[in-house]
Amino acid sequence: MQDWFDVFRSALLRRGVPHATVRQVVEEARAHTGDSGEPPLSAFGGPEAYADAVVASLTPTDPGRTRAPRGDVLLRARGITKRFGRRTVLRDVALDVHAGEVLAIVGANGCGKSTLLKICAGMVSPDSGTVEIAGRVGYCPQDGGTIEFLTADEHFQLVGAGRGLGRADAREHGRTWAGRLDWADPGATQARHLSGGTRQKLNLTMSALSEPDVLLLDEPYQGFDRGTYLNFWDLVWAWRDRGRAVVVVTHLLAELDKVDTVLTLGESR
Amino acid sequence: MRKTWTIAELTVRDVLRRRGVIVLMLLLPTAFYLLRHNDSPGQSVRLLCLGLSWGVSTAGLFVAASARAVEPRLRLSGYATAQLYLGRLCALWTLGFALLVPFAVVVRFDHPWMRPAGIVLAMAFCVLIGAPLGLLIGGLLPRELEGMLLLLIVCALQMMVNPDDLLMEMLPLWSSREIGIWAVDEPDDLGYLLRGVAAGVAWTIALVGLVGGVSAVRLRRRAHVRAL
Repeated sequence: MQDWFDVFRSALLRRGVPHATVRQVVEEARAHTGDSGEPPLSAFGGPEAYADAVVASLTPTDPGRTRAPRGDVLLRARGITKRFGRRTVLRDVALDVHAGEVLAIVGANGCGKSTLLKICAGMVSPDSGTVEIAGRVGYCPQDGGTIEFLTADEHFQLVGAGRGLGRADAREHGRTWAGRLDWADPGATQARHLSGGTRQKLNLTMSALSEPDVLLLDEPYQGFDRGTYLNFWDLVWAWRDRGRAVVVVTHLLAELDKVDTVLTLGESR
Repeated sequence: MRKTWTIAELTVRDVLRRRGVIVLMLLLPTAFYLLRHNDSPGQSVRLLCLGLSWGVSTAGLFVAASARAVEPRLRLSGYATAQLYLGRLCALWTLGFALLVPFAVVVRFDHPWMRPAGIVLAMAFCVLIGAPLGLLIGGLLPRELEGMLLLLIVCALQMMVNPDDLLMEMLPLWSSREIGIWAVDEPDDLGYLLRGVAAGVAWTIALVGLVGGVSAVRLRRRAHVRAL
């Protein structure tokens, strides 16, 4: 059974509290119960509720999440056509994604969802069409994308250095983002030893770490447990609320109420 | 510069954690060296150089394969193409030169009559050429097995082509062979040394340039993407 402090720590991380602050708050809570001899449950109440209270106390102004109004277009694609051999996978596809908007790309297997995302990220060339982007792009693949023999912290260091972060800052940012996906101890485990779901948490954290304006997520929740899956959507909404443009490739139609706009591929063919 | 060093540092860590690779990188030149150790010392040193280069280029091949899926993401997160391939190249050269040291010491004590500077120079060109050769093959061929087979062809040619054949002079490690002849067999003929150094420098520059070119094409900013 998990210790109260472990649950509390995990709850703070999920709420996006920076790793260093979490460490400090948990130590203070431990010290308090150590001095008073009172069990943490009677001293602070349930760990989740206490985490809410701590987060509220750490946010001096309006703690409620306010959604930014939909802003300018950050990602625009026009006339995207892509053929593989004689098979046309994408035909004249167009999309606009604004700041503060979540767009889902849906469609049957093989309809070109992932290809369209890679074209938007500039990793694959279309046969025709253009993509216009404002700001920095982050891309999360549905698998792969990590280096087997490097630890999670080293992946944070690798991506963090790209945007000029030092080793300690990159690790701190990475651990904070990982905490929001209920991954409390990314630490020294090499990527090859991570489960499929945890590896995807690493992938998603790497995408977030570069602080992109446009996030392209290719079914990033593969292998997530239910709790992490819900945290993932919280994270997507948090990005949206901060004025980012988010594109999520999905094949789960039940998710469509979670997004602002839906682009269905393969309908006209 | 910091980004290049980050790539170099993490590449070194990535390789060092593959313990099997490290053991094989040591075993390969050792086996080659021992093969003709008793009956032909000069040939055993030339084979040692070949084994060293083969080991370093194989490591380069695996490094290139390991980085293939991550590099497009790293470009998106702010790295320039040159920072990526130069970082990996620096890492492989560092590992190669670290690997060179114990073999240079062994040869020095095993065959004190050979020119130590010549032996070290021949080995150094094996490392300098082997690293970009592995990265180049890894950049051109996405599958490790195909890359390994191509590397095997290059190394087998290096071993089996008649030394007097013109083809030998066109192979990447001819430079190390020429320097080796100067260090072991013909200490008074500086022509071997000069030809070897010239070929080694030319191959190193050409291979680094080719690695840069292949990386630039693979990780290019695509023409269909524009700033809004």
